[in-house]
Amino acid sequence: MNKTDDIIRHIHSLVPGDKKIRIMNVCGSHEHTIAFSGMRSLMPENLEIIPGPGCPVCVCPESDIINAINLSQRDDVILVTYGDMLRVPSKEGSIRAQGGNYRMVSSPQECIQIADSHRDKKIIFFSIGFETTTAPTAAILESGIPENLYILSSHRLTPTIMEILVKDAEIGIDGFIAPGHVSAIVGANAWNVFSEQYGIPTVVAGFQADNLMLGIAEILRQLKYGETKTGNVYAGVVKPEGNVQAQKIMDRFFEVSDVNWRGIGHIPGSGLELREEYSGKDARKVFDLQEIKESAIPGCICGNVILGKAYPADCKLFTKVCSPNSPKGPCMVSGEGACNIWYKTG
Amino acid sequence: MCVGVPMQLTEINYPSGVAEAKGVKRTIGLQLLPEGVLEIGDHVIVHVGFAIEKVDKKMADEIWEALEEVLQMMDEEEEERARGLSSDGDG
Ligand code: SF4
Repeated sequence: MNKTDDIIRHIHSLVPGDKKIRIMNVCGSHEHTIAFSGMRSLMPENLEIIPGPGCPVCVCPESDIINAINLSQRDDVILVTYGDMLRVPSKEGSIRAQGGNYRMVSSPQECIQIADSHRDKKIIFFSIGFETTTAPTAAILESGIPENLYILSSHRLTPTIMEILVKDAEIGIDGFIAPGHVSAIVGANAWNVFSEQYGIPTVVAGFQADNLMLGIAEILRQLKYGETKTGNVYAGVVKPEGNVQAQKIMDRFFEVSDVNWRGIGHIPGSGLELREEYSGKDARKVFDLQEIKESAIPGCICGNVILGKAYPADCKLFTKVCSPNSPKGPCMVSGEGACNIWYKTG
Repeated sequence: MCVGVPMQLTEINYPSGVAEAKGVKRTIGLQLLPEGVLEIGDHVIVHVGFAIEKVDKKMADEIWEALEEVLQMMDEEEEERARGLSSDGDG
């Protein structure tokens, strides 16, 4: 009997025979491991592991994408963003299809080089993502960025969206697998609110299949014995307090804001914008960007997939007209989107 | 984009440094970690070009084991995309 078999047997022994249990992961890489390892088929029938809002590209508002496209069409601008963002569809097309001057980067650091070598242009970094990408953007601001570099922040806060999910009875979450690397930044303690206020076991796990299953087993153990607390089976990476230096740097430049989530709607206090004192670097303010009303993508249920209310396979377009090569909705674009992952795992 | 990879520090010129993984060397930002805690040879988890946490070698190896499959999959997808650009129906 190997270690993996032991964990699976343990999981089966912890699940009560009849009651349905729903555990949500909120990280694209977790969903990736779960889907590719075939873990779901090894779990007890009444245990559901549902993908949640782990894909930053999927929740980036259409309004920001259209604003980015429009900015890239100006002669004096180069729009810079992460590769996945280039292909996300909007009613105006994608940045790659419709954008004028744009560049792909894999690190905010590259924006500085682009700005330095194009002094006659305004470089706008369309910076998106959860805490793992917010901290690096804050880091370049901390080091000082060139005068001609601006930030279009579309950053989102993981703990806030999780709290929204918990309050939605329709979803009915019994436990959370907390994202490993977001937790490295915010700290395992950031999830205490779920055990303390909502009685929902939340366990930080890494990306290895065995480690993830250990996390699932810990959630089930807590549910069985009624002792709800934040667990951490990824303690080699995640500290209770997280990365305090990164938190301080993020806090120096960003403040909490009320923002939209694509397919979901307006969520107060769930995003980050540059603080007032850095408004001279804030592309939203410098270029007077206006909110554009979001249009629904006919047939796409991405919002419900992100909220754990539907699986990708529940979408009528899934695999038939929507595929990674021809994505109709944002969840099919990125390797972190549930539809993209499910497409690849069949 | 959100995949964090463990790399080993080969040079430190705080607030930047050079780190290596699988034979690839990259300049990375170190300012998200305190200067004093980093030494050449340390393993760090790198997200979009910045070290976000220090880990021991055993943990770095374990994460790599899990990552290899994911990264390979992403590479294949990129290649596929590059080949099929004209069939890309976005927009
Ligand atoms: S399969 Fe495509 S259209 Fe359907 S929910 Fe996913 S992204 Fe949207």
